[in-house]
Parts: sequence; structure tokens; C-alpha cells
Amino acid sequence: MPAIADAIILKNGAKTFQQDEDSPTYVLKGVDLTIEKGQFYILLGPSGCGKSTLLNIIAGFLELSEGNLEIVTSNTNRDGRGFVFQSADSALFPWLTVEENIAFGLKMKKVPTEERKKIAEHYIKLTGLTGHAKKFPDNLSGGMKQRVQLARVLANEPEILLMDEPFGALDAMTRRSMQNELIRIWRETNKTIIFVTHDIQEAIILGQKIGIMSVGPSSKITTTYDVKLSYPRDLTTAEFNDCYRRVQAHFEDYGI
Amino acid sequence: MTTIKVEAANTKTTVIEKKKKVNRFLKSGVLGWVVILVVWQIASLFSEEMFLPSPYATFKGMIEIASDGTLFVYMGYSFARVLAGWSLGLLIAVPVGLLIGTNTWIRTILEPVINFVRFIPPLAFITLFMLWFGIGEQSKVFLIVYATFFVITINTLTGVLSISKDKLLSARSMGATKFQTLLHVVIPAAVPYIFTGAKLAMGSSFMAIIGAEMVAANEGIGFMIWNARLYFKTDWIFVGLVVLGLMGFLMDRLFTYGGRKFLARYKVVS
Repeated sequence: MPAIADAIILKNGAKTFQQDEDSPTYVLKGVDLTIEKGQFYILLGPSGCGKSTLLNIIAGFLELSEGNLEIVTSNTNRDGRGFVFQSADSALFPWLTVEENIAFGLKMKKVPTEERKKIAEHYIKLTGLTGHAKKFPDNLSGGMKQRVQLARVLANEPEILLMDEPFGALDAMTRRSMQNELIRIWRETNKTIIFVTHDIQEAIILGQKIGIMSVGPSSKITTTYDVKLSYPRDLTTAEFNDCYRRVQAHFEDYGI
Repeated sequence: MTTIKVEAANTKTTVIEKKKKVNRFLKSGVLGWVVILVVWQIASLFSEEMFLPSPYATFKGMIEIASDGTLFVYMGYSFARVLAGWSLGLLIAVPVGLLIGTNTWIRTILEPVINFVRFIPPLAFITLFMLWFGIGEQSKVFLIVYATFFVITINTLTGVLSISKDKLLSARSMGATKFQTLLHVVIPAAVPYIFTGAKLAMGSSFMAIIGAEMVAANEGIGFMIWNARLYFKTDWIFVGLVVLGLMGFLMDRLFTYGGRKFLARYKVVS
């Protein structure tokens, strides 16, 4: 029995890709992960370490080759998990307006039009998209598109948010404001968040707990690091820098 | 000083206005037609009317066939056949393209077959289609269906295969069933490709119908062109060519307009 406070428990998880018949290649091997309900968890690692693969497994998009994954949500269907993709352009539906994109999941669940509109409106407001409801995604900036993606996922009221480097393609300033927005939204909605990034600064700005992954193949979470700073985090303080140095040191330990 | 400035500004606007007018004229495409007519006229001066009739002779020929309504009846026949065959082709090819695109098994089985058969031109089937479907309208319509089928199927298939995986995954994670994903994600994403396929298929339709009408019909533009040779009416052949181009042009324009008007959100016309 999992503890009530746990949302995601992965034990000894592994993912292989069959290259030839005899020797499967391990992308992930021996991954242990426990994430508490309402926690902001960061998966941090260099490019190609399999952190996106791990996130896709938790999302249910990929199957585990070995090990055991438990997702604890009050609704057992896939709706318990919402996924924010790295590229809004490839994830959003360009033929739907912002409002229609956000209401997509509700429409699929046959929620009545009136209610759909109300919920969409709520999340448009929450994500700061007021005034953009009738626009098409192609007419929005990169940051705005990611807001739409976030609102679209939130509208389905998932308990767990899975985010795959969602701010990676944004410019530094937009990125900072999106990070602040995400923290605000997280605190207002009490979601469990797993956020994938390769940026140490971003990890420390956002996360309560940072899972540091080793380089692949056969990568796993080598260390978890608790960030004890209070929100909103000021990246100019000595404490922040201290954190940064320590996380950086973990990477140096593993020769990355 | 002030006056000079105003004058300068005025001259500038008139120049811009003039430039705009020239641009508009160039963009209207009229110039191309004028050039063709002039070249055609000059070429015909060095030739006999039976060999290469002049634009004017062609126009006279057009009046000749149009005056008793024959031209319009023939146009109606050809157009109706194209429209029937093309619509039916669209109706069959789109679902087939969606099926092949979404189902890996079916794709594996059918793709080689399609890539074999699609190189057999419709005209090669005329005799067989007449044998199978009779010499009436059926064989002609089916020939056009055949001519449109592969273009639209392959375009639809390409559209389905080019949908980003993220769109399909996000639909799934938002609770869409397989059928809902097909209806609300796959089809909308493929619409621009289907539209292009349908446009290209129009050309193939005209190609097929003229061939079929030349071989086996007692009416239609193809029949008219083929028949003209019996009377050495070269001008009628030219009338046929002009009318064919015109019909295709109008059909394409109408279709594009419709797409722009009703399918704007799918970005069918760039």
C-alpha cells in the first residue's frame, strides 16, 4: 500500500529499445522515484539522458520494460495526468481558436457547451490569456502558446501535470515570467508537477525536489536534492547561488 | 518652404498610385493572355486556317457551334461527367486514404499495390471499363473516379502521416477516444492535404473524360474535338481547347474560393 500522500511511485523502472534480438539497449535502468502529492518535482539531466522517456512512461505514452509504476489519483483514467509538450506548435490544434483548444478535452467528454465555456473562461483568466480567446494559435507569441497549452491541460482538471521542457524554446525574459506564472498557478491549484529541464537555474527556481539523472544509456536518478528556499525565489541571493553550486557539484561527481 | 514640402509629398503619392495601378494590372494576369493572343495571331498569319486558325477564326467557330446551343450542351455533358466522377472519387478516396493512413497493417498491405496501379493511366482502362460498365455514362464516370482516386488517396494518406505525434498524444491524454481523435484531430489536420489532392484530381478528371469522350461518346467536348477532324474543322478543335481550359479554370477558382471561405481555419489556401 502506498502512503496516502504519494502520487507517483516508480520502482526499479527500466526502458529498453530492441536494437537487435540478443542485446536490448537500456535507455533507463533501475529508476526509483517517489513523488508526493502536490509536490513540484524536477527531472534534471543533460540532453539525451532519457528524462523525456521517463516522463512519457509516467504519462502512459510509453510502456515500462521492467519495474513497477503506480499512479495514485482519485480518477483512475488517463485524465489524472495532463501533459504539456515541449513544442506548443506541434501540440496545439491550429484550426481551433484558443478557447476551442482549451475546451477540447471537455468537448471530448461531452460536457455541455455552456459549462465548457465557463470552464474555458476560468482557465483563460488563470493563465493570463484574457483577450486572446478568439485568436488562433498561429497568431500568438511563443510564450502565449505555452499558456494555451497549460490552460488546455488544466481545463481537464488533472491532479498531475507532466511538463516536458515547456519553456525551452522561449527567450530568456519570457521564460522568467512564465516560470513565475507557473509557480503562481501551481500554488493556486495544488497540482503535483513533474517538470523536465536541462537547466540548473530553472530547476532551482521552480522545484521543491530535484531528481538528477545520469547520462545514458542505462540512466537513472542518481541523487535527489531538496530545495529549501521559499517561493518566489530570488536568483540573486547567496542562498540561491549556494544551491546552484551544490546541484552543479552533483553533475561534476558524475563527470557530466 | 512649407508649400514645397506639400508639393513633394503630393508628387510622391501620385507616383505610388501609378505604381499600384501597374502592379494591379500585372497581377491580374491579363498581360499573359494578351501575349498569347498576339503570338497566336502572328503565327496564324504565316499559316493556313485549316492548319492553324487565328484567334478570330476560332472565335467565329465558337459562335458557329454556340449559336444552336450545341457547344453548351457538350460543355454540360463533359462538366456533369467530371463533376459526378470527381465527387464520387473524392467520396471514396478520402475514407480510403484515412484508413490506410491510420492503420499500419492496411498500409503495409496496400501501399505496394497502390504504387503499382497508380502508374497505369486511366486511358489504358477505357476499353476495359466499357466492357465492364457499358458504353453509357457509367463507364465514363468510373473512369474519372479511377483518375481521381489515387491522387486524392495519396494526398490524404500523406496528410494523415504528417500529423505530429504530439497532437495525437495530447488528444489521447485529454480523454479523446480513437474515433474522436480521427474526427477531431486527424481529419482536420489532413484537410489541407485533401484539398490539394482534390484540386490536383480535377486536372486528371479532365484528362480522363476527354479521352473517354473521344473513344466512346456522342456528345461532350472530347467528342467535339475528335469529330472536328472529320470535317477538317480545325477551328472547332481550338474552340474545344479553349473551352476545356476555361472549364478547368472556373472549376478551380470556384473550389479555391469555397475553400478560402469555408475552410479558412484549416489553412487550405496559403
